[in-house]
Amino acid sequence: MDQQELHRWEGRCIQEEPPACRAGCPLGVDGRLFSQAMKRHDLAAARLVLEKSMPLAGIVGRLCEAPCEGFCIRKDFGGAVALGDLERYCLGAGPGRGKGLRLPGRDKRVAVLGGGPSGLVAAFELARKGYPVDLYHLGAQPGGWLRTLPETRLPAAVLDEELRFLHSLGVTFHAVPDLDPGLPALAGTEACYLGRDGDGAIALLATLSAPDEVTFALERPGTFAGGIAAGDHPQRLILSVSQGREAAVSIDRYLQGASLTASRVLLRHGRTELYTDTTAVTPQPRVAAAGHGGYSGDEATREASRCLHCQCLECVKHCVYLAEYGAYPKVYARRIYNNSAIVKGIHQANRFINGCSLCDQCRALCPNDFSMAELCLDARRQMVREKRMPPSAHWFAISEMRAAASETALIRHAPAQKTSRWLFFPGCQLAGIRPAQTLALYRHLLALDDRTGLWLDCCGAPAHWAGREEELAAMLARLKALWQEMGEPPVLVACSSCRKLFGEQLPEVTTVSLWSYLRHKPLPPARATTVPLAISDPCSARHDTETRQAVRDLAAAIGQELSPLAMSGELTECCGYGGLMDNADPALAAKVARARAAQSEAPLLTYCAMCRDRLATTGQMTLHLLDLLFPGDADAASLPPASLSSRREGRRSLAADAGRLHGEEPAGGGRPGDDLLLAIAADVAARLEERRILVEDIRHVLSAAGRSSSFTHRGSRRRLAAGRRGEVTFWVSYRLEGSVHHIDGAWSHRMTIGTEDGP
Amino acid sequence: MKLSFIPEDMDWVCEPCGLALQPGMAELFYLGNVFRVELPMCPGCGAVLIGEELATGKMLQVEQLLEDK
Ligand code: SF4
Ligand code: SF4
Ligand SMILES: [Zn+2]
Repeated sequence: MDQQELHRWEGRCIQEEPPACRAGCPLGVDGRLFSQAMKRHDLAAARLVLEKSMPLAGIVGRLCEAPCEGFCIRKDFGGAVALGDLERYCLGAGPGRGKGLRLPGRDKRVAVLGGGPSGLVAAFELARKGYPVDLYHLGAQPGGWLRTLPETRLPAAVLDEELRFLHSLGVTFHAVPDLDPGLPALAGTEACYLGRDGDGAIALLATLSAPDEVTFALERPGTFAGGIAAGDHPQRLILSVSQGREAAVSIDRYLQGASLTASRVLLRHGRTELYTDTTAVTPQPRVAAAGHGGYSGDEATREASRCLHCQCLECVKHCVYLAEYGAYPKVYARRIYNNSAIVKGIHQANRFINGCSLCDQCRALCPNDFSMAELCLDARRQMVREKRMPPSAHWFAISEMRAAASETALIRHAPAQKTSRWLFFPGCQLAGIRPAQTLALYRHLLALDDRTGLWLDCCGAPAHWAGREEELAAMLARLKALWQEMGEPPVLVACSSCRKLFGEQLPEVTTVSLWSYLRHKPLPPARATTVPLAISDPCSARHDTETRQAVRDLAAAIGQELSPLAMSGELTECCGYGGLMDNADPALAAKVARARAAQSEAPLLTYCAMCRDRLATTGQMTLHLLDLLFPGDADAASLPPASLSSRREGRRSLAADAGRLHGEEPAGGGRPGDDLLLAIAADVAARLEERRILVEDIRHVLSAAGRSSSFTHRGSRRRLAAGRRGEVTFWVSYRLEGSVHHIDGAWSHRMTIGTEDGP
Repeated sequence: MKLSFIPEDMDWVCEPCGLALQPGMAELFYLGNVFRVELPMCPGCGAVLIGEELATGKMLQVEQLLEDK
């Protein structure tokens, strides 16, 4: 990812766009943040929010006509949040103004003509930037029409306080009998602002042409004008203030010799890209003030609580992974970018990048199609290319994939057939988790069409998810060659992930969803459950409408009652295995599975073996569709999830059984340690599972015990043996009783001892 | 600084050699890095014992740190 791509990504996430109120405020006051502070009745914090964007808040906040309310998202649900009244309450009841900050002094002087609101604000903005300002006004005191307001609207003391504050910032007030742009005193100043909303503005106005609508520049260089003269204008105050500020921005640019328009932040006039979901918002009427003097404290708090706290976070609200890291995709894009830019030091975001399940729910939810999946997969590929992918991140899944694609792989036409009309591809997870049902399913498929071949293999999804492009390409080339040798029959795919991968990576291979195929054939004697089930679509079926429908049709055809599940179909969620999340961040993956399972009161029904087992691990009753179509003797719902070791074993036994259909006997001899007698208690087995140590790893180590790296404890007769398999050294702790190895523990490490290539 | 991981209980014997383990300096390698560490070692064949605590604790931490570097 380069800078430009980063900006493209960042631009797609609109979470940081302003809320409607802020976009609708000509000063950009953050009504959302203000409401939050008001809701806590933290008036000091609320005032700070105002002062951050509002010049001379004591005056402006009391008088503002609140055009923001016209944009407030709450307006259709009981009326806009009364930001104007809340501001008045805050300024009246809260603490006074804080100390103003003034930038270091500059030597160019600015003159402001007119003591109305726009002139005062222009003077404020320029003085803050360090310019000495001379403000010329009619009458004894500056303020213009502000001085005509009743005490209840603008106490004279507040106006005076703000004027003293202006003075402290470096504004000098001059009472003059006449406001004339030809004033001799202006000779020494380098820029001049003419307030059209001050007293005597009428006379002044006559001498002026209309200023530019954005910069408020007049034709004569260095002169600017703004402010609403008409006394009956419905937004006289706020527009005057806004124009005074915009003119001050121009004057600053002018004095620095900069362009008045280049990369100028324009007023939004309510325009914002922020998306706010309002489907769950219930109407709530605006709080009316009981007394005449505006809100009471309690009323203000209640009114502020009506603020919807507008924001997007559509993706984060539904994704445990996105929520886990405390921010949202715009921030995440930068984290990922920074991570890849690190030359020396720790890549803090590696786990984050590898933690995404690549399920793309975010893209389905995002109003702007932001895909964390795409971002993370790109980053993984880059890490692999640059040889900085942590070797352990996807190690287990990749070694599983390699085993499934070699040791337990098999491809055959149907028994006694020389061609295939169909090729059944169960996928390595179904084969490993439910070998017996897979075989029953294959027999059923043979009964439907005796020219249905069988293809046991891995589709390569783990290599894809791990960002290993080369390894994926090699897998795909091998799969394609095998398929061609079989005469290119359509492939009946059971697993949605396999089907998605084939579709994306090997589009020349025709795949047919197994479930759509079954849907149109006579069904085996199935068994519906007595309780309704909620279908949890696998995340890889998000865009496979046909399969999703076929599964629902199958359920209906066997009389299975279904119960709805909110996040399903295109919005479905991952079980925590997708994208190898479970490899890179098992704890988070478990949290994802728990969150998914908790969404349904009804037991779940799925058609992905991995989903079934992961959801079942959470304790939620979960069935695989095959459990209904091919009910065995066991109560399928209570089947414990298959252990990692038993999955390997399952693939092995399925391959052997499939071979037997062809009269082939599995090659004898077996693997090292196959004949050893092991005893492994349940708690030990659970620890092995957590550490991803297979029983066959233990057998491998024990088969060489006694020859090297093996030790005996003299006191307890406990034994320890170590052996290296691939990238990992495994240690087994055990006691020998007769010929039985009682395993009491096992652990592993990736470091090598003595030399770089192992002990 | 000398890195040392000698367990309290050193009552271990190397099975092939029949010799009692003693503290010895071993080298641990990972991703192009080397650490010299004192570990229980067979004085005969040089075999090194890595206990559960070390493997799942310090060693794992260092591995992960190096992987993220
Ligand atoms: S859905 Fe997520 S990625 Fe999309 S704009 Fe909202 S916060 Fe950003
Ligand atoms: S509901 Fe709150 S955040 Fe949303 S526009 Fe209204 S005041 Fe602003
Ligand atoms: Zn020895």
